[in-house]
Amino acid sequence: MEDYEGKKILVIQTHGVETPTRTYSPLFYAMAAAAMEMDVMVWFTMNGTNQLKKGEAEKVQLDPTSDVTLKTMLEQAMESGVKLRVCQQSMALWDMKEEDLIEGVEILGATSIINLALEADHVMYF
Amino acid sequence: MAETQEIRGCVIRLDLYYDVDDHTWVRLNDDGTVTMGMTDVAQNMAGPLLHAKTKAVGSTRKKGKPVATVESAKWVGPVKTPISGEIVEVNQMIEQDAKVINRSPYKEGWIVKMKPTNLDEELKDLKTGEEAVKAYKEKIEAEDIKACEHVEGFEA
Repeated sequence: MEDYEGKKILVIQTHGVETPTRTYSPLFYAMAAAAMEMDVMVWFTMNGTNQLKKGEAEKVQLDPTSDVTLKTMLEQAMESGVKLRVCQQSMALWDMKEEDLIEGVEILGATSIINLALEADHVMYF
Repeated sequence: MAETQEIRGCVIRLDLYYDVDDHTWVRLNDDGTVTMGMTDVAQNMAGPLLHAKTKAVGSTRKKGKPVATVESAKWVGPVKTPISGEIVEVNQMIEQDAKVINRSPYKEGWIVKMKPTNLDEELKDLKTGEEAVKAYKEKIEAEDIKACEHVEGFEA
């Protein structure tokens, strides 16, 4: 395995709980990059934002025989060092306020995403 | 064969040194190197492994840094070394078939061999023998870690 330690990966997630099959993979890739010692951030915007509303991610379970839900994936990502950030403007789409967000997610504005995209070594867009 | 104990069906070998928090083990070799790998508890939590990739031979790793990444259908994460040193050999077998880690976490499924740089100090932080069993039992109970199922077969 080559050494990619310290590279910055920005994952942009625009899909939410209404499309379960599009929710796990971006987080899985983020965790893989974190395991490879990269600096990883997932940015949730548009529909992606709704999975961060308290009580929503628990309802998404891709494999009914597994106890892993989308909430599990979000928690595992954070435990592995992945930073979760949400677009402030997109929260209005889902009538969400700061207190509606699950623990550990920070709110950033549009200017920040542009800065982060410029600073990243690679951007993955979903 | 080394003596083993089981906690909720998870096998602990008494001859190894364990980092219970990171679920890794270390074996002291006669030539001064150490072999390290994932514990039975770790392979069980991860589930049947699909891929394992090790860092390259010659890499220098500090204690707590990843020497490999492993992934199953439901989880991907690092294998962190409990001992600082240089990787002198990697287990090619796990790159071909990662499930060897599920079947034989303490023997055929070892991850890397390292030439340690601070072994005496770092061994003090690891647990061995009955002390390891006690520490692992406490962790398994505190975190309610599920019982080990050896779906791929098992070799202690």
